[in-house]
Amino acid sequence: MSEARDTVMRAVRQALSDLQEKTPLPEYDSEILICAKYREGEVGGWLEFGENFAAVSGRPLTEVGELLVFLKEEGNDSGYCDPSLKERVGTVLEESGLKVHYEYEHDKVDDYTFGITRASGVIAESGTVVLNDEDTVDRLAALAPWVHVAVIENEPIFETIPEAIENLGDSSNVIWVTGPSKTADIEGILIEGVHGPGVQICLKLD
Amino acid sequence: MSKSSQPIDDFARELSRETRDAVLSSVVTRTAGRKAKLEADYKDPDLLRRLAGKVKQHTVEHLDEYLEQAEAALTKNGAKVHFASTAESARETILEILRNKGATRMVKSKSMVTEEIHLNDFLEKQGVECVETDLGEFIIQIDGDTPSHIVQPIIHKNRRQVAESFEKHGLGAYNDDPQTITHRARKHLREKYLQSDAGMTGANFVSAESGRIVIVTNEGNARFGMAANGLHIALVGIEKVVPRDKDLGLFLNLLGRSATAQQLTVYTQFINGPRSKSQPSGPKEMHVVFLDNGRSKVLASKERDILRCIRCGACLNVCPVYRQTSGHGYRAVYGGPVGAVLSPLLAGDDFPKYADLPKASSLCGACHEVCPVNIPIPELLLRLRSRANKEGIKSAGAPPMAPFARMATSPKLWQTAMTASRAMNHLPITMMPIQPLQAWLKIRTLPKWRGGEFRKWMKERGGVNSGGRNE
Amino acid sequence: MLMATCLSDVFFADMAKATVEVLESVGCEVIFPEDQTCCGQPAFNSGDFPAAEKVSRYTADVFAGDLPVIVPSGSCAAMHFHGTQLLFEDKQDTGEVESLAGRTWELFDFLVNGLGVKKWEGELNKRIALHHSCHTRGTDTGAAMETLLGSISGIELVKVGTPEQCCGFGGTFSVTFPHLSGEIGQVKLESVLEQSPDLLVSADMSCLMHMGGLAEKQNMDIETRHAVQVLRDVSLASQ
Repeated sequence: MSEARDTVMRAVRQALSDLQEKTPLPEYDSEILICAKYREGEVGGWLEFGENFAAVSGRPLTEVGELLVFLKEEGNDSGYCDPSLKERVGTVLEESGLKVHYEYEHDKVDDYTFGITRASGVIAESGTVVLNDEDTVDRLAALAPWVHVAVIENEPIFETIPEAIENLGDSSNVIWVTGPSKTADIEGILIEGVHGPGVQICLKLD
Repeated sequence: MSKSSQPIDDFARELSRETRDAVLSSVVTRTAGRKAKLEADYKDPDLLRRLAGKVKQHTVEHLDEYLEQAEAALTKNGAKVHFASTAESARETILEILRNKGATRMVKSKSMVTEEIHLNDFLEKQGVECVETDLGEFIIQIDGDTPSHIVQPIIHKNRRQVAESFEKHGLGAYNDDPQTITHRARKHLREKYLQSDAGMTGANFVSAESGRIVIVTNEGNARFGMAANGLHIALVGIEKVVPRDKDLGLFLNLLGRSATAQQLTVYTQFINGPRSKSQPSGPKEMHVVFLDNGRSKVLASKERDILRCIRCGACLNVCPVYRQTSGHGYRAVYGGPVGAVLSPLLAGDDFPKYADLPKASSLCGACHEVCPVNIPIPELLLRLRSRANKEGIKSAGAPPMAPFARMATSPKLWQTAMTASRAMNHLPITMMPIQPLQAWLKIRTLPKWRGGEFRKWMKERGGVNSGGRNE
Repeated sequence: MLMATCLSDVFFADMAKATVEVLESVGCEVIFPEDQTCCGQPAFNSGDFPAAEKVSRYTADVFAGDLPVIVPSGSCAAMHFHGTQLLFEDKQDTGEVESLAGRTWELFDFLVNGLGVKKWEGELNKRIALHHSCHTRGTDTGAAMETLLGSISGIELVKVGTPEQCCGFGGTFSVTFPHLSGEIGQVKLESVLEQSPDLLVSADMSCLMHMGGLAEKQNMDIETRHAVQVLRDVSLASQ
C-alpha cells in the first residue's frame, strides 16, 4: 500500500492510542427515525406517497391522459421516452401530436423538454422517487429536461426511509429524488429548476 | 468609534449594515424553520441528536477500523482509494488522477473540503479549468470571493450584487430577478457540464459497511457532474465515515432538517462505485481521496468531538456572533461556532493565529442546543481558551484573572472591595481610565452601586454565619 | 444556604433581599455564609482554569455541609453543576466541589421542583416579557419561572421572538468584544420591545443589567426585574 496511506493510518492510530474509554456503538431501532406525522396519519402506499410528493412540489399522476394534458398545457412538444415504455406511454403522447424520441442523443440534450424514465420505487414517508442505475435508461434523460416523468409499474412502494435504506440493494448508483431541483441561494428565495428538472412527475401505471 | 483589540469585533463594526441585516434575517428564518420542522416531525428531536452524537463519537474513536473497512468496501465496489495527509498531497493526488486521464475541464459540486485545500487556484495554475456548479459557489467563483456560510455560501450578498456580477461577466444584461439569474446560470453551466471531462465532489457520508458514498444537493449539480462525464473524484475528510448503512438514515434525517428544514435534501445519491454496465452516462472511473490535513491531530486532542460535525450550518444560523459577522469574520474556511473550534485546531502550529476565535463567544450555548450530533461546542471553546491561556497567547484577549482569584478567595478583601465600590456612585466614572469600564459605559449605563448593602441588611436579620469553613 | 452572587454584592441588593424574603415566605430558613464571594466563572470563561479552580474550591469550602445551596442566577448555578465538570475533570480531591454541585439549585428550579410551590398568590396586572437566560438552557429553570409567574392572576406572559438569541452579555465578552456584545444585545432588545411589555423579567440579573443598560443609554422605556422581585412585590402588595 502507498506511503500516504500508511502516514494517514499511522497518524490516526497514534491519535487513538492513549484513549482509555471508548464510546460503544449504540444499537437502536430505525423505527425512531420515522416521521411522527407519518406514523400518526399513516394511510401508506401510493396515497401517502402522493400527498408527500405533492408537498415537495412533485406531481403524482395515475393516468397517461393526465400526463398528456399537463405536457400540452405547458407547451412541451418534443421529448424523450424510455423505449420500454413506448407502448404504455410514448405512443399515447405521439397519437396526440407530441414528438417522442426513443433514442437519447447526447448532443441534443437541450432539445428534449421532457424525459420519461423508469423509477425503481418510491418512498411514501418522504415523497421520494428512487432511481437506480440499472433501471434508469440514461442518467441525463432523468436530469437534463425541464420536465422529468418517473414511471412506476410494479416497483416497490417503500413505506419509510429506513425501509428504503434496507433495500438499497447492490445497484452501483441509487439516487433519491424528493421534488424538483431547487435553490434558495439568492436572498433565501426559492427557485425551482436549477440544473435538473423544474417539474418532477411520478406516474403510476397499474 | 475606537477599535477594540479583537479582529472579529472590528470586522463586525466595519461590516455594512446592509450585509449584516441580510445575514441576520436569513439565519433567523432558517433557525425558526429548522425548529418548526424538527418539532413537527418528531416528538423528541433531542433523542435523535443525542443518538447521532453517540454514533459519530463512536466512529471517530474507532476511526482506524472504520477507515480500513470503508477502504476495503470502496475498493470492492470498483473505486480507487487514495489517502492524503496534507492539503498539498491531496492537490497533487487529484492533479495526477486528472493528468492520467488527460482531463482539463472539471466541474465541481459544492465542497467545503476542496475550499479547505484551495484546490481551484492550484488546478487552474496547472491548466485545469475548475467550474463551481452550485449556484452560490458559482457566484463566489466569478466574484473571486469566498463562501461566508457552509450551506448558503452567498448569504452576504443580495440579488443586486449578484445581478451586477452576472452583467460584468457576460451573463446577460442587468437583471436582479432571482429566477432570471438562476436560469441564466442553468444555461451557462449546462454547457460547462457537457464539455467537462471530470466531476469533483466532496461527500456527506461514507458507509464503512458498504462503501456507499452519500452526496446530497438540492440543485442536482452533483448529479449532473456525475452524468455528463466519465471521471468522478471525491475528496473526503477522514471523519466522514459512518459505521453502517442503517446509520445513513439517522444522519440524513437530521442533516436535511438541520440545514434547510427539509425532511430530505432533493437529490440524495448513494454511490456504490462507477456507473453500472448498462448505464450510458456517468463515471467509468471513480476515485476517492481521504484527507487528513490536521484531522488526526484533532483526533488526538480532547476537542475530538468536533470531528462529529456533519456540516449542516445550524450552529452558524443560531450563533449571535455569526449573526453579526457572517463567516468572513472568522478569517478561515469554516466560520461560526464550528469554525471557532476547528480553525485553531486545523491550523496546527499556527494555533496562536486563531486563538482569539474561541474567545469570541458569549458561551450562550445555542450552538450546542441545535447541533444534530450534539457537539458540546461551548465546552470545546472553553478547552481552547484554557489552552491559549496555558500557552500564554496574548491575542486571545483574556483579561488577567489572578487578581480576581486572589480577591475571590479572601473574604475580608472581597467585602472591603464590595463596600468600597459604593464610592463609584460619587466618582466621575465616565472619565476613569479603566478600559473595561469605559467599554461598558460607551453603549450602556450601569445600575447604582450598592456594595455591602445586602450584607448589612442580612446581618441585621441575623441570617449570617461563616459557612462551612469554620464548621 | 443562599449564594447571593457577586452582582448582588455590588449592584443588586434588592434582588438578594427579595430572594431571602421569598424563600422565608415559603417556610425556609435562610443562611448566608459571610465568606462567600463568587462562583469563579469569570476566570473559568477566560480560560484561566488554575485561577478558576482556586475560586471554585474556596466556594465549595464556604458552602460545605449538606444544606441545599440556592442561587438566584441560572448562570452562577450552572457554573457549580456544569462548569466544574470540565474544570475538575482530571483533578483529585474533588469531594467538596462535587458535593456543592449536587446541592446547588437555581432559585426557581428549587421553588417549583424542589419545594413543589406551583402557585403564587397575588395579583399583578402587567404584560411581562420573559428572557430565558442562556445558561438555563437544558435546565428546568425556564419552565419553573413560567409556572410561577403564570400562576399570578393578571400577569400576561408574552412570547419574545428569536428566543435562541443571547442578550450579548457573556461576562468579560461584553468588554473584550464591545461592538459584538452591544449589537447582539440590540437584536434581543428589539425582539423584546416588539411585544411592548410592561416589564422585562429574567432569572439572571446579568442579562437584565446588560439589556437594561443598553436600553437606558438609548432612552428606551423598559423596566427590568428579576423574577424573584416580581414574586416578592406581588406578595407585598397583597398583604
